[in-house]
Amino acid sequence: MHLSDRITGSFVATLGVLAAYGGSRLPPVPGQDIGPSAFPILIGVGLILCGLLIAAGIGHSFEEEAEADLAVVEGPPEYASTKAPLTYRLRALLPPGLLLFYVVAVDRLGFVPTAAIMIFIASVAFGAKLRVALPLAALASVAIHLIFYKLLRVPLPAGLLPMPW
Amino acid sequence: MNELIEALRLVLAPDVLIAILLSSIYGLVIGSLPGLSATMATALLVPVTFYLSPIAAVASIIAASAMAIFSGDIPGCLLRIPGTPASAAYTDEAYALTRKGQAEIALGAGLWFSALGGIAGTISLVVMAPALAELALNFSTFEYFWLAFLGLMCATLVARSSPVKAIASMLLGLFIACIGMENPGGVPRFTFGITELLGGIEPIPVLVGVFAVSEVIRAMVSPEPPPLPHRRFGSILAGQLHLTRKYWRQMTRGNLVGIIIGVLPGAGADMAAWVSYAMSKRFSKEPKKFGTGHPEGLVEAGASNNASLASGWVPSLLFGIPGDTITAIAIGVLYMKGLNPGPTLFTERASSMYALYIIFILANILMIPLGIVMIRVASSVLRAPRATVMPVILVCCAVGAFATGNNLFAVVLVATFGVVGYVMERNGYPVAAMVLGIVMGTMVEQSFVTSLIKSDGSLLPFFERPVSAVLAAMTIAALLWPVFIWSWKRIRPRHQEQAL
Repeated sequence: MHLSDRITGSFVATLGVLAAYGGSRLPPVPGQDIGPSAFPILIGVGLILCGLLIAAGIGHSFEEEAEADLAVVEGPPEYASTKAPLTYRLRALLPPGLLLFYVVAVDRLGFVPTAAIMIFIASVAFGAKLRVALPLAALASVAIHLIFYKLLRVPLPAGLLPMPW
Repeated sequence: MNELIEALRLVLAPDVLIAILLSSIYGLVIGSLPGLSATMATALLVPVTFYLSPIAAVASIIAASAMAIFSGDIPGCLLRIPGTPASAAYTDEAYALTRKGQAEIALGAGLWFSALGGIAGTISLVVMAPALAELALNFSTFEYFWLAFLGLMCATLVARSSPVKAIASMLLGLFIACIGMENPGGVPRFTFGITELLGGIEPIPVLVGVFAVSEVIRAMVSPEPPPLPHRRFGSILAGQLHLTRKYWRQMTRGNLVGIIIGVLPGAGADMAAWVSYAMSKRFSKEPKKFGTGHPEGLVEAGASNNASLASGWVPSLLFGIPGDTITAIAIGVLYMKGLNPGPTLFTERASSMYALYIIFILANILMIPLGIVMIRVASSVLRAPRATVMPVILVCCAVGAFATGNNLFAVVLVATFGVVGYVMERNGYPVAAMVLGIVMGTMVEQSFVTSLIKSDGSLLPFFERPVSAVLAAMTIAALLWPVFIWSWKRIRPRHQEQAL
């Protein structure tokens, strides 16, 4: 997801406009000049200024220098992902997707099955073989449940597969 | 004296000692895995600290972060991939030593000077904190406003990115902190009718999202790092006394620079390492040797990044203003455990403070034996394939965030901020500045609005009080510094042309 400065700058500026506008609509505290709207308006104005400066490309020279310094240490940055096919780049959505799956599924399926499914899918996506991914999913999900549920007393839902502890 | 004995009793309790040992091992392992930073290790530790006693909770954070900063040197030295950003400054130098067949010297220097640096930083904490606490007792909201603002400006200065983007990130963080009902009017702000947002956005899910989930995303779309060849190490500490004698000046300078950068609110270990390495090269008698496997810069930068870690606790404990992202997490834990930061912490909870100092020293001493073991087993730990580590971390992110408030909305936040963090990092927006904005937002707003109410809307009192005026001048200088650098760079080439 490498975007041009013009796009991210405009986004920041738009956010600033929304923050200032949203802030200005907040009800004031009776008898007080300064209320909950002061700070969001101030931030909004700051964001608008920064957004415009970024879109205009100001400050980019600093970034190039920092990148050059890092390139000495880490070698040229990996731009493989921008050239890689779309399906490869879409893999970036898998981790947040799995977290949302957790939110939706954990109360119905229970912690251990949900975690096992997450680990299995993520592990296969990272290129693990089935004979690694399957035992990993089974063992790690039970181990995490044991640590968090038993030792740390986090109320993880039991769901379909209650654990003996 | 009584307090010191009480502090020793607190630290030597079995649960505290076990917490230190386990979190040290945890910190060493996480820090050594490329891409998993010390901040992330600390963020994932927070849900665990809920269930520990106050001292054990703080101890586990101190131990894990110190160990993670050191062990970030290991993959840097052996694979040329820094384990944590704080090691990036001298990774090339350490790897050059490894190629020359002197991996022991490089790793040993990292370990030895990290431990010494950590102890030096602790001494600075012991000396500075009570002295500053007396000063801090006289602070009013004006000073707190400038101090918090200065911290935010420092965070943007040290970001190693475009300063405009860093300020934008910081403002974005402040904006996120506006969400919820905790504001001067007590009205719901930017909640869009979502009940879960009324309480505001908690820093912990944000931290887990931007530091851990975004790292999993990055790993998803980048090739796997090369496996580590098996290697047998000689004695790790053998050459270190010689290096200490030879480079004691560099070590002291590194310690001092680390301490100063640590004390500055907002600037942390990675900046300390970059500045110290650059300084070492600048003042060295043999600058040409730098980059070819010369231990001088390693000594200075290694001494510096661990020193900054302890002194970073000074502003956190005194003012509740984090010195870096790690102490930003620690502050949350301190509040949760009833050790509210502030100058009175030193008078009312003196024994807890002493306990904290003892834990720092203990952790830095423990670092040497555990570090040696870690270096010896590093080749096995670093062999753990990403396909097994990353999925488990992902599940830990979900459970950890859920545990902070036992609600699933936190997991949604983690996912959201994972994406936000990844996109920001990819486009040069430093996420640390945003995180500090979120952590400090409420405080900045409160001190700003209270001050304005006190002054009846006038801005003059912000600059009238002596300490406040100094802090204001520093903040404005920090804001204008990039402009100065930029114009300097523009003018200088012209001068050189004229000279020719």
